Parts: sequence; C-alpha cells; structure tokens
Amino acid sequence: MKKKYDNNIDMEKNSNGMLTVKNLTKKFGTNVVLDNVSLTIENGKTTVIIGPSGCGKTVLVKHLIALLRPNSGEVYFKNHRIDNASEHELNKIRTHYGFLFQGGALFDSLSVTENIIFPIRQHCKITDWKEVEELVKSKLAMVGLDGFQQFYPSNLSGGQQKRVALARAIALNPEIILYDEPTTGLDPIRSDVINELVLKLQKELGVTSVVVTHDMKSAYKIADRIVMLHNGKIIADGNADHIRNHPHPVVQQFISGQVGEEDLAVLRMSGAISQTQFLPRDFE
Amino acid sequence: MIGIMGAKAISGVGSMGRFARFIWQSMVASVQSCSSTHSYSLIWTQMYFIGVRSVPVVMMTGAFVGMILSIQTYGQLAGMGLEEYLGSLINIAVVKELGPVLTAVMLAGRIGGALTAELGTMNVTEQIDAIRSMGTDPVKYLVAPRILACLLLTPVLIIFADLLGIIGGYLVSVVHLGINNRAYWLHSANAVEKWDVFIGIIKGLFFGVAIAAISCYKGFTCKEGAQGVGQACTEAFVASFISILALDFALVVISKAIYDTFWPLRSMV
Repeated sequence: MKKKYDNNIDMEKNSNGMLTVKNLTKKFGTNVVLDNVSLTIENGKTTVIIGPSGCGKTVLVKHLIALLRPNSGEVYFKNHRIDNASEHELNKIRTHYGFLFQGGALFDSLSVTENIIFPIRQHCKITDWKEVEELVKSKLAMVGLDGFQQFYPSNLSGGQQKRVALARAIALNPEIILYDEPTTGLDPIRSDVINELVLKLQKELGVTSVVVTHDMKSAYKIADRIVMLHNGKIIADGNADHIRNHPHPVVQQFISGQVGEEDLAVLRMSGAISQTQFLPRDFE
Repeated sequence: MIGIMGAKAISGVGSMGRFARFIWQSMVASVQSCSSTHSYSLIWTQMYFIGVRSVPVVMMTGAFVGMILSIQTYGQLAGMGLEEYLGSLINIAVVKELGPVLTAVMLAGRIGGALTAELGTMNVTEQIDAIRSMGTDPVKYLVAPRILACLLLTPVLIIFADLLGIIGGYLVSVVHLGINNRAYWLHSANAVEKWDVFIGIIKGLFFGVAIAAISCYKGFTCKEGAQGVGQACTEAFVASFISILALDFALVVISKAIYDTFWPLRSMV
C-alpha cells in the first residue's frame, strides 16, 4: 500500500509539542463553552482531560482536530495552524490523527472489515488485497477482536463497537489519537480492557494520546498528565499526584465523586419524594 | 415584532447562503468524482438504489397516468365528436408534463426521503464527523455519488414513465373505449414532436439534481434525535416538491422561448 499523496505541509515537530491551543474561546449562541483556554499537548504522552458533564471536554477535543472552529483563538498541529485551515488542507492533516468517537461512530451499513479499511481505501493505493486483509487482522488482534471481520456493527456489543472503532482509528498508524470518553457505558472489566489498549498503543506505536473522560480510575491509570476543565476554563493541570493533592475544592469534589452543597440544597428544596401523588388514571 | 421579523429574515438569508455554499461544494465534488475512477463504485451503488429499484414504481405511475387521462378526457372529446384526438392529448400531456413531473414527485418521495433519513441518521450518530476525522470530504464521499446517480438516472426513469403512460393510454383508449387504432396513432404522431420528448427528458436532469441536492442538504443539517430526522425528511420532500414545480415552470418558459425562436412558423400553427 502506498499513500496517494505526500503531505507537503511542514510537519516538523516543534518544542511546543504535538498540539498547541492558544486562547481558545467557543460559544454556542450566548453559551460560552470554552473561555480563553490555552493548552499544549506533549509529544508521545497521554494527556487526560477531565471535568463534569457539559464542561466542554468534547468541544475542546473536537477543536484539536478542527471538527469545530473557534470563535477566537488558535489551534496548531505541530507548526501548522489548523483552526482557520481549509477543509482541503485539513483532509491531509487529519490523516495524522485517529479519533475514537464517544459512540464509536462506526458506519452501520459496512462490515467490521469495511469499516477498518475505510481510511486505507481513501488514502492509500491498494495493490495487494491480501496485505490489507492481514492489516485488518492485525488491527483487530490488537483490540482483541480477530475473527469478527464479517460482523456488522449492529451485531456487536457497545464495548466491541468501541474496540472496532479504535481499530479503525489506528488503521493509518496515526501519530496522535483522540479518545472521546472511551470507557463510558462499559462495564468495569471492558473499561479496563480499553485502558490497557490505550497504554499498549502508546507503548507499541509511540502515539500521542488525548483522552476525554470523567472516569477517574481510568484517568489515574493511563495519564501522564491530567487537565481539568470547569465552566470552560482549565482549573487544574498536572500529573496524577498533583491532581490528587490539588487544593481547589471543585477538583477535590470531582475526583472524590461527592455531591456538592448546591445540588443537595436543590434536592432539599424539592421536598420529600413520598409527597408526590401521581397515580394511574384507573387507580382506586 | 419587528425584532422577530428581522431575526427570521437574517436566519432565512443565512440558510440560503449555507444552502448555496453546499450546492457549490456538491457541484465541485461531483465534477471531481467524474474524473476519479475511485468514485465509480460509489456511483454504481447509488445508481442501483436510486435508479434500478425505482423502475417498478415509476412505471406504475406512468401507466396509471396514461389510463386515468384517457378515462377523464374521453367524455369531453366524445361529446364534441373528437374522440379520435384522444391519443394526441394523452401523449403530449404524458411526454411534456405529467411523465416528467410525476416521476420526479415519485422520486422525491421514494429517494429524497431515503437520502435525508440515511444522511440525517449518519449526521446525528457522528458518522459524518467520523468521515471528516479520517481526512475524507463527506460531500465528495456521500453527496456527489447521489447527485450524479440522480442526474443520470432521472431522465432514464422519465423515459420508462413516458413509455408506460403511452401504453396505458393506448390500452384504455383503443382496447377499452374502442377508438380507431390507426386514427389514434396518426393524431398522436401529428401532435407529439421530437422536441416535446426531448424537453420532457431534459427536465429530468434538473429535477434529479434538485431532489438529490435538497435531500442531502437536509440530511447534513438535520437536528438531533429521531424527531430531527423525521422533520428533515418532511422538509426535504416539501422543498423538493416545490422546487420541481418551480423548475418545471421555469423550464417551460425557457423551452417555449427557444422553440419560438428556432421554429416560429410551427409555433403559430
């Protein structure tokens, strides 16, 4: 297999890291989701972005691959600015990425094999189909699903779909993999399988990883660095120990998974559950 | 009140701009796909779903149009002693207007709804974002093959509808109502010109592109959830239907002007 084109964009690695975000602001209508966020993703490391639901983690990670455009600020992949790049330029740059979507985003009309070879067909000139079959087999073996080549996404469980999506994300041997909540909705054992896969890919392929999650067990296991987002801003940034001992009360509340005083107050104000008197219409 | 109207006007202009940009991207991608052998398999697949599988419904539509026209107009013409002219009336109506327009409406329902639902579901399940994240242009991969398939096959489907409309009209007029066979075809041949058939088929090119482009756009921009996809399908059909009628009107005016320019004597007869 040969790549159809050479990327003529200057992809020299710079000292600032693989990805650089500068003063990024994103609004949806009047809702400010990301507020002046700056971040550098280091080359070859696993950076985990944590934070409560709706704090802008997925929005941030989608900016890292330019699936969303910011209202203001800049995003760089190596030396190349991508937030204002044309879709044509981005199509070339995105071949350096793998993206694992939260729901897998597998093509439901294609089999597992067809899903995995999709990026290969798009970007490589296939001369030997046997080589492609072996590549699919090896990628599926990496995620523990060899033998599922002819299955369709609808025949797979949620965990299996995520692993196939991961096999597809690594089909082109990307330099950077973005994971959007890879363990959400999985049982603890399957979650740990995904964690091991993230570690294995970093170790075997040397990829840079950015993982969005609110699963702290997973974050502590895979992270070289943890970044916490809250109300669209970064409130904590450091390794696992730094986060564990962080003085910010919101960080401590999040990592310990405790309900806040504000939420408790709302629950108290809403009254006792037993007072609710909704009964079926024919109840006598 | 003025504020609401202003906001709606701005929103409408924004939507028009986004649709115009989508159309431009789709046209560029379609032209590029024509020169890329890599896209041919995608186009073939869409041609099968859009074209081949629509043949039975389009033929049935055409046949019923011919038969209904025959039954409806026979009474009036027979009352004036002009029943032998039934063939010219049925065939010119089928070939010029009813064949192309009803085929396009049938396709807007069958194909347009399916395209919007398919692309809308892909949109809400992030499959379109997944295509983009893998460095592929979703317009080129998803929209261009569908537009090309509709562009190429709508005229062919119109030919099928015309053919069955002519046969349906003939069977009811000659076999059921007992009109003279020779007179039926003679008057038909005098009334229907090659230009009428040509214009009817050419309309298919415009209708096909309109149906595919509107349906794909609605799929690409549909809102989240099952309700969003359902609403997009409804909007796609309504917009396609209105576009078909508007395009038909414009094409009738243009084709008549061309005909009058090149054959001024015939148009006076």
